[in-house]
Parts: sequence; structure tokens; C-alpha cells
Amino acid sequence: MAQKSTFGPREAPTLGSPSRALFGKMLKEAQLSVAERDFILEALRENVRLDGRGPDQFRSLNLSFGNEYGHVKLQVGKTSIVVRISAEVTKPRDDRPFDGLFNINLELSAMGSPAWENGRSNDLEAYVTHVLDSVIRRSNALDTESLCILKGVSCWSIRADVHVLDYDGNLTDAACIAIMTGLRHFRRPDAVVRDGQVIVYGVEERVPVALNITHNPLSVTFNAFNEGNNIIVDATRKEEQASEGELVIGINNGGDVCFLSKFSGAPLDAMEVVTKSNVALEKVKEINTKVDKIMQVDLARRAKLGMADESRAENDR
Amino acid sequence: MVEPTASLSTLNRADGSASYKCPATGYDVLGSVNAPIELPARRDALKPEDATIEVFVKPGNTTAGVGERYVEGILRSVLTEVVLGRERGYPRRGVVITLAIVGGGSVERGDSYLTVLPALLHTSLLALLSASVPLAMTFSSALLGVTKSGDIVRDPSAADAKAASSLHVLAFSSKGHLLLNESEGCFDFDTWELIRERAVSICRGAAVSGTGEDVAMGERSNDARLDGFVRETVEDRLHVDYAWKIESN
Repeated sequence: MAQKSTFGPREAPTLGSPSRALFGKMLKEAQLSVAERDFILEALRENVRLDGRGPDQFRSLNLSFGNEYGHVKLQVGKTSIVVRISAEVTKPRDDRPFDGLFNINLELSAMGSPAWENGRSNDLEAYVTHVLDSVIRRSNALDTESLCILKGVSCWSIRADVHVLDYDGNLTDAACIAIMTGLRHFRRPDAVVRDGQVIVYGVEERVPVALNITHNPLSVTFNAFNEGNNIIVDATRKEEQASEGELVIGINNGGDVCFLSKFSGAPLDAMEVVTKSNVALEKVKEINTKVDKIMQVDLARRAKLGMADESRAENDR
Repeated sequence: MVEPTASLSTLNRADGSASYKCPATGYDVLGSVNAPIELPARRDALKPEDATIEVFVKPGNTTAGVGERYVEGILRSVLTEVVLGRERGYPRRGVVITLAIVGGGSVERGDSYLTVLPALLHTSLLALLSASVPLAMTFSSALLGVTKSGDIVRDPSAADAKAASSLHVLAFSSKGHLLLNESEGCFDFDTWELIRERAVSICRGAAVSGTGEDVAMGERSNDARLDGFVRETVEDRLHVDYAWKIESN
């Protein structure tokens, strides 16, 4: 800072400030070559995608569960994600004494892509966190009031940790599916209030309870190409790089749109937004059915292992 | 003793990766290595002839805190000795090791981080091997706990570790040298000597344990040795990778 005064008044603040220079260059994903970009665009003009999918087709969804409840491994094509849900008892916020806490935590590490730096956030991280927050947290998919144990004194704090293991495009939708699946799969320990004392029962003492999920919203990301003539879902990393703009729609099984955004890129026809929200609804229904089926199989397997009561808990309400 | 399981090169984007599961402690660790990678800021000024090793530990369901920073420091100092950072292509470049604890219990705030350390060490070694980073040696590491009654237990569970009077993590290089010694709690030199002998027999088998004739009867057989486990994992992977070549011979 002392150095700055010696430059005098003529030093324009816009010309590379010293703090900027200290950060040096940022790591970046390898760029698409011109030929590769042209190839993707030309192929899309003929309605062909690099991996042979249709424009409204997701990559294959591979879902599995870990040993604990709420431990989800999801693969969408080559994008691979692990989500872990955890719960702990804390004090509720002073302005919301009846509400529990719910947080989504996404931290991109060098594991997912060499272009991401450990311990430093980047644009993608901020963007995905924002979408996830809007689609899942702010749409009240998890009923936070049901997490209250004793008004103003103690409540559950639910935490979803997203680990990106492999990044090959469409992080938002994949993370959305994984978090929602995790929340539905998770069981928290039972807690009761007796004489003003909060008692948390261990998993062995009492059947753990499922979270109260109000609806199942998922995000569907559309990528536009060739002046909005080609719009596709579930873009791979290469397709994302060649894309001219994207549209994100968060929608649930009932067709309620809870999030819609067009952050940047080329403009899109208003009619497209309407038609694409229909496509999004269809996709969300399709994915939710698929997830349900896999989750039922897993819960049935757990039931066989002598935990019959726990797997039934979700439908008891 | 249930052996740990591991597989190499499980990820697509990272240069090298390994997943490691230790059934005794329950930890499931995924490691990735990116090397050699260009460092974004000028962090190479201090050692222009050597590679910079960066270790990042990502806990499963909490935000990284002092515990992670502490264990990262230990890992960095061990791995700096192991990686040949002066080989062609490595000076002034980074070796970025990312370790995510994706399964099993998490280390509670204030609990000892030593319980995860062997799993983290093995994962990073396997990931480095998978990324073909030049190494001076391989190593194996063991976690031992001393109970209140003075018994030495191998791989104590989280609850046992909490109750233990002292915890020890020792690592031995493939040449048999003591590479790392981290201890926590109260113990005397005689106990430590017993611990060392036990750790040698776990990591390296009885052949090199020298004086320790009456310790660790269970770990005598060669296939139960931990350095053998690292070797076998890499052998299995090579067998798969070079199937085309082996078939044609």
C-alpha cells in the first residue's frame, strides 16, 4: 500500500491493480479447438450429438448407496458425485426459533477436474451452489419446521456435503438429483423432549426417522446452440464449452416451477422457455421414477438385513 | 485381521487415483493426484529445483478445519521425502494430492486425527503410483493403540482410540527405514519400543523385525504384510492394464 502513493495521481485504478497481479493466472479447463467446436455445432445442426443421444435424452444414470443412510453415489455419464447427508443437534437461529437448519455444502476440489484449485472457490462453484440453494433449499423441499425439537432451544441441523469426483458437464442437475435422493434416503436419530430435557436416542435404541420431504424438485439444464436452433439437455463438458447459452429450470413432479434462470449467453426465444419447461417436467418425472425404483430396492435390501422398521418409516406419515 | 481393500485409477479426470477402504477402522478414502501440474501462483520461488507437493484433505461431512490442516502437514512432509521432485519435468511444477473421506465415520472435532492417517498415507501412495509419479521408495504404515491396561491393539476403532492411553502411527519405507513416527498420549520408551516392533511386523513381516522374536504371532505369514498389500494392488492393476501384452506372449 505504501508503494501506491509513489505512483502519483496519474495511476489509473483500472490498470491491473497490485492485488490482482498477486493472484497470478487462474487455472482453466482446456479449451475446445476450433475444429472440435465446429464439429459439435455442425453435428447438432443435423440433430446428432457426439455420443449419439437425442436432444432431450439424459446420459445413463447410475445410482448406488453406501453403508450409512444418506450416502449416495451418483454417476451421470462420466460425471460422478458422492453426497453425504448428516444431522446434528444445534441451537436454532434467534429470528427463526421454530425452524431447523439445512445447508448444502459444495466445494470443488482438484479431484473433479485439474482446472479446479484446492481451497479456492471458482465461478462454477458459486453458480452451482446458487442453483442448488434455490431449487432445493429455498423451495422448501425439506420442511425445516419439522426439524425443530424445542422452540428456540434446540433443533436439527441437516447438512448435505457434495463431493465432485469426476466432472464431465451438467454438475447442477447431477448434484440436484444426488442431494434429493440423499435427503429422501437419510434417517436421523429420534429425539424427544421430556421435562424440558432433549433426549436423542441412538440408532440401536429407537428406529431412526426419515426427513419430511414436501416435494421432489430437480433442476434441468438446457444448452442452446446455433442461434437457439438446437437446445439439448444434460450437456457433456465439451458440449457445455461449445454452447452459446444455458437455461436452468427447477421443477417438481407436480409441474410447479420453483426456479427458472437464464444467467448469461445468447438470448433465447420466450416460446422456447415455455416448451422447454414441459420437457423439463417430463424429464423430472422420468428421473424421479427411476430414483424411486432404485431406492426401493436398496431399502428392501436393508429391510432384509433386519432393519424392516427403518425402511417403512418414510411412509408412516 | 481383515485386510484393507483398494483399487487404482478409479477416476476419469485426475491423472492418478485410488480408492482405499480399511475395514478395521471403517474409513473409505478416495485419493487423486494431478502431476506434474502448473502452479497458478508463484509458489516455486523457494525451491527452484524441486517439485511442490500440495496435500488437501476433504472430510466427509464437515468443513475442513485445524485437524485437516494438521494431518495435511504430516502427509506433506512424508510425501516430500518419497516423491522424486527433481526428476525431469517435475521441478517448479506441482504435485497436487487430494484426499476425500467419502465413507465411514468422520473425525469429530477434537478427536485424534491419527486414526485416519494410515488410510490417508496408503491412499496417497497408491494414487501417486497410479499417476506414475517417480518415487524414491514405497512405504506402509500402521496404527497402533495402547489400552489403559497396557495391551497393544492394531487399528483401534474410533471408540477404542478415544479410550486408549496412547495412539501411534508409524510408517516404514520399502527399505525398512522408519519414515514417520507420530504419537499421542502418555507412554514410556519401553512401550514405544514394543510398538515399533509390532509395527515393523505388521508393515514388513517378521523377516526384518530383528530382535522382536516374541511379538505378533499373527502377522508372520507373508501375505498379511501391509507392504505386500500395496505391492499386490499395483500388480493386479498392472496385470489388467497390460493384459494385451501378456496375452500376446
